[in-house]
Amino acid sequence: MSPIDFVLTVIGYILIGIGAFCQIVAGMGMNRFPNFFVRLHAATIAAIGGSFVPIIGCSLLALSFEELGDVRFFLAGGGFVAAVFLLILAPVGSHLLAKAAYFSKAAVLQPKVVDALEEDIRKGEVHE
Amino acid sequence: MMIVEYLTFFIPFYLIGIVMYVVRALKGPTIPDTVLSIDCLGYALAALLVIFSVYLQSPLIIACAIVLTLWIYALDVYMSKYLEKKELGE
Repeated sequence: MSPIDFVLTVIGYILIGIGAFCQIVAGMGMNRFPNFFVRLHAATIAAIGGSFVPIIGCSLLALSFEELGDVRFFLAGGGFVAAVFLLILAPVGSHLLAKAAYFSKAAVLQPKVVDALEEDIRKGEVHE
Repeated sequence: MMIVEYLTFFIPFYLIGIVMYVVRALKGPTIPDTVLSIDCLGYALAALLVIFSVYLQSPLIIACAIVLTLWIYALDVYMSKYLEKKELGE
């Protein structure tokens, strides 16, 4: 095993470990947080920390896995494509869902200190 | 011993996370809660598919992960349009 492969293996395992930790944290937050708008934090941890990071780690691990032959480039390329899709599309999806839940009043805004969007709607600056 | 043998140590953490998301998806009081937990479930499943494809050394599984990511985004767009406009998209 050459030194660059050893470095790629170690970085890949570290990233997969970070992903496992973030999955556990996000699962606990998903079950313990009180309502929808607080659970969005846990969902973002699950998307970026729990899925994007270990997919990048798996791609690096596959690049350094020499027993596979040429298949390892296929595995690494597919992993990178899936990770880039996830990095772009997961925050967009969370934002869409939060906006829809706010305007349709499907979820309660319980720990609310100030709501600037509601004031803007009342003044007529933002249309639903 | 091959270098991917140590991946078996990390797989149970992902499975525990998936079980927690399933619990919230079944319990969720409102529709956005269910959709949000199914989002997390799909992304965790995509990560687990990539891990399995490296562990089993099979390049067939990784195509499913790309498609699954795009389907979860389609679910987000569809459900937010339904919640906001109260009509189904065509």
